[in-house]
Amino acid sequence: MGGFGMARRSAWRFTAIFAVLAILLSACASNTPGGTGATSAPAGAKAAYGGSVTFAMNSDITNMDPMLSGLFVDRHLMYAMYDSLVRVTPKGEIIPWLATKWTVSPDGKTYTFTLRTDVKYHDGSAFDAASAKWNLDRYRSTKGSARVGELAPIDTVTAVDAATLKVDLKTPFAPFLSVLIDRSGMMLSQKTVEAGGADFTRKAFNAGSGPFILTEAVKDDHYTFKKNPSWWGTAANGDKLPYLDQVIIKPITDGDVRLTNVRTGQVQATNAVTGKDVPTVKGDSTLVYQEIAGIGNNSLYPNEAAGFIFSDHRLVKAVSMAIDRNELLNKGPAQGVGSVAFGPIAPSHFAFDPNFKPYAAPDIAGAKKLVADVGKGPLKFELLVSSGDAATLQFAQLMQSQLAKADITMDIKTLLFNEIVLQQNDHKHLGMTLIGWSGRVDPDGNVYDFVYTGRPNNAASYSNKSVDALLDDSRTATDQAKRKDDFQKAQQTFVVDDPAMIWYSYNAAQLLTAKNVQGFNVFPDQLPRFETVWLQK
Amino acid sequence: MSEVALPVVVSLQKPGRVSSIRYFLRRNPRMIVGGVLLFILLFMAAFAPFIAPYDPIKVNIADQLQPPSFQHWLGTDDLGRDVFSRVLWGSRVSLSVGVISVSIGFLVGVSIGLLAGYLGGTFDLLAMRVIDALLAFPALVLAIAITASLGPQIQNAMIAIGVVAIPGYARLTRGQVLAVRSSEFIAAARTVGVPPWRIMLRHIFPNIANALVVQATLATAFAILAEAALSFLGLGPQPPYPSWGQDISYSQRYLANMKWWMSAGPGIAIFIAVFTFNFLGDALRDALDPRLRRSG
Amino acid sequence: MTRYILRRLLLMIPVAFLVTIGIFVIIRIAPGDPVLTYAGENPDPVTIAAVRADLGLDRPLPVQYAAWLSRAVQGDLGRSFQTHQRVTEAIIERLPVTFELGVAAILISVTLALLIGTISAIKRNSAVDLVTTSVTLAGVSFPNFYLGLLLILLFAYVVPGHIFPPGGFTPFATDPGDNLRRLVLPAITVATASLAVNLRQVRSSLLDVFGQDYMRTARAKGLHERAVIVRHALKNALIPVVTIIGIQIGAIIEGAIITETIFFIPGIGRLAVQAIPSQDYPVVQGVVLVSALSFMLSTLAVDVLYAFLDPRISFGSAEA
Repeated sequence: MGGFGMARRSAWRFTAIFAVLAILLSACASNTPGGTGATSAPAGAKAAYGGSVTFAMNSDITNMDPMLSGLFVDRHLMYAMYDSLVRVTPKGEIIPWLATKWTVSPDGKTYTFTLRTDVKYHDGSAFDAASAKWNLDRYRSTKGSARVGELAPIDTVTAVDAATLKVDLKTPFAPFLSVLIDRSGMMLSQKTVEAGGADFTRKAFNAGSGPFILTEAVKDDHYTFKKNPSWWGTAANGDKLPYLDQVIIKPITDGDVRLTNVRTGQVQATNAVTGKDVPTVKGDSTLVYQEIAGIGNNSLYPNEAAGFIFSDHRLVKAVSMAIDRNELLNKGPAQGVGSVAFGPIAPSHFAFDPNFKPYAAPDIAGAKKLVADVGKGPLKFELLVSSGDAATLQFAQLMQSQLAKADITMDIKTLLFNEIVLQQNDHKHLGMTLIGWSGRVDPDGNVYDFVYTGRPNNAASYSNKSVDALLDDSRTATDQAKRKDDFQKAQQTFVVDDPAMIWYSYNAAQLLTAKNVQGFNVFPDQLPRFETVWLQK
Repeated sequence: MSEVALPVVVSLQKPGRVSSIRYFLRRNPRMIVGGVLLFILLFMAAFAPFIAPYDPIKVNIADQLQPPSFQHWLGTDDLGRDVFSRVLWGSRVSLSVGVISVSIGFLVGVSIGLLAGYLGGTFDLLAMRVIDALLAFPALVLAIAITASLGPQIQNAMIAIGVVAIPGYARLTRGQVLAVRSSEFIAAARTVGVPPWRIMLRHIFPNIANALVVQATLATAFAILAEAALSFLGLGPQPPYPSWGQDISYSQRYLANMKWWMSAGPGIAIFIAVFTFNFLGDALRDALDPRLRRSG
Repeated sequence: MTRYILRRLLLMIPVAFLVTIGIFVIIRIAPGDPVLTYAGENPDPVTIAAVRADLGLDRPLPVQYAAWLSRAVQGDLGRSFQTHQRVTEAIIERLPVTFELGVAAILISVTLALLIGTISAIKRNSAVDLVTTSVTLAGVSFPNFYLGLLLILLFAYVVPGHIFPPGGFTPFATDPGDNLRRLVLPAITVATASLAVNLRQVRSSLLDVFGQDYMRTARAKGLHERAVIVRHALKNALIPVVTIIGIQIGAIIEGAIITETIFFIPGIGRLAVQAIPSQDYPVVQGVVLVSALSFMLSTLAVDVLYAFLDPRISFGSAEA
């Protein structure tokens, strides 16, 4: 909604989206296709075929190529048009998709996937192991690819035969499968990608094998998909998917306009409802509102530079103690959508610890005492906020007033988004920035790059040997319980004992639909899956 | 590009000073209205700390989004701050941007215009191409680009709006200089050996002063409006300092919830401030320019 | 005549040149680094360097400018950093949208200006005159973004039935009715700002015309007053209106910036507002170049048209 469309910036979203209390409303949570035993239509109702659904997202996409896409919003389209090797259930379990099964070698370094043999891309060419290899190699070795980092653990990819793909890793990497859920695991037709050239990013017609085929793309207006009649997926009850004939995805930046469109029936679904409007939609009997805990989070992030104020981590802790997370969540722009956070591991992650509540209430006296203990005089720092986003500015001013109670002076400085990222990466800024992270299915994606010594997103240059050791172990351990233990121990250190940064809220995953829209499930990653959606006649 | 309409050169006759002002005002009652409005604005800005009933930046979350009442004349915003107090303080930003950016545009623009008109030749040609280029920019795009480049802070908004205003003064001044330059008294001054800068200051400048005063007044109106627009887009003063444009952008999110008062105060304030300078500029133009008064 | 137009066109070249250099310098002195936004979510130094080299941003500024200019004169404005779309394509997609908004705004503004201006001029110095001139002065003083918000508020949440939707855009080809409905509020928003200027121009040129000899002649011939106004006065007063329409190209691009942002209309103005802060250099350069060129061409067109309409104007004096 900012005049400058700052909200469109995605994964590194400067907290335009806030998060909520995890009311797990996933009524039909196992509603996943693929002939893998998942159910689709709710019991008692026979799903109907046909019809068209228009879905509103909160900003326009910038890139349809999974290799180059850097924005969260891009993925809205990708889940309709592309298939990936594996997918995830709303509960975060990884399920077969284009890969029907896989085995992992005992040393955790070799993954062998068995692929579907009945899949064709929309351009008619066949999906096989050679195609999968081409995709993975393209993502990890093309100059300028945004997927290089995620796929860095891969050593070699081999197409053993048409239906068998072998991936050898350099070192064991426990979160590897979770990487293949999203863009890094999306399979595209080599023929169409290469024919598209530089225009492919905007005109990715017929490149995927997904349940819907992109037929029209009008920037800033709409994207039209028609049903892929030969899609491979089926519902648990045997229904051939997808149900809908057509899906239209529209970018509508303004929350009020988006809501008005839903209420007037021009749009049947959206995944972005502004906090202040949630009570309204809950009370509207023509609409169905679903909300579950998301995997993304919002945080305050100290940025290291010469003369770094927060190199004494007790001051990070003082700020963390002084803020009132409940007030920020409930009285700030989020208006209660989302939930209070203390660390990066979200409620839907397997490693989440519901009893981890180190800063449950603000501790003004404690914060003052810590600042006094450090003995460098009153704490004063600058918060960089990206200009043009009214909600974030209001949020920053609320936080400013909270910190003032503990005699902590936080000056707000607005800068262009790019400049904030630059100052952060170049270690030029002494204060803090607000960082939103769209989240990853594996907790590793929410933790490692932010606190491990020397990682690119670790702008505070945080370094703690025991955290590094625990996180290393979490990557090589194959046992989930062991990983969970590693994450929780590390979190205790980098949040409480030797704080790296300040997490204050989790995102919510929302879904607002018209009453006659059925089979539409909300996922923690906030992205829509259209293949199971049908319209009640 | 050709000028559309050159305001005509007129100078005020100067009989006794006080009586002439009184005469002038009696002949131009709109000047009085404009003057009173301007006085109110200046008073608001100057005495905001004393008139404002609340601290404009004090967050009071318990009172958020209160409609107008006796306690809060214009209601409260989403952080529970008093809208009326913020409007009063916001006038300081708007007026200082108006004054400073207009001064920048005036000084630079008039200098360029005087030099180009007086020197002519290559300097004139080059300067006017630069001015043409500035004019060819959509003004607001230029202002946004400059502010964004220098950093979204209020000083930079002042510079940007000032730069955007340069061509107006430069073309106006140059045109007037060209008209005056060939006149006999300048030629006479030259032959007597008066140095060029003195000719410009003593002989040319007074002749174009009236037109410039009108231009500056109208430009102040534009500057206030432009500052509001830049602030609305997030390129204004740093929060929590109140600014009219920014406060309206905060309120935009609450339109659907019918919290109209958050924007009503700052919106009307911008309107009054801009109206004041437009009205005054219009009145001044009519008063100082008999030709226009006759036709208007 | 032809020589005059050619000369003016030639003069546009150095101006366009200065405009492109100007915008090139302005957007590049900004401290941010566009590469960071385009290099993905976890940009490592190697990727950043690769992207920078790929975009040609590692070369010295003059070299970058020369490269851009040499392609620009061939009609290639490069690709958006952000969307990888061709800039020419992005502009061509959006120009008709802004054009439609502009035409609608001019129609509203000029029609009202002619109507009210004529009445004002006839009933000069009457109460009607005073009220209309004050109201239009108020119109030009009203911040258009606030006006836009008020209109949205009014028609989306107060007036029942959603007669005019609170924003968004439907292409004319898709649904002409919806296209026009969505056009109304933004067009009013843009038109209000220019109405006062137009009205003042119409009124004062009519007053000028009223004093002319041929008017007296016409009246003396016993023509009905209304016929005099329509046949003689208005026709002559149209000349400055033509000028105004030309000048307004600039004002409309201006109004479009804010109005398109508020009403979520995918036009040129919004393209600029999005591209400037995200430092999408090719898009900013392209949009500024195109709007500067259209501004200069329309000014030229107006000057030429003006001369056609008014034989008293000779081309010799146009380059004042």
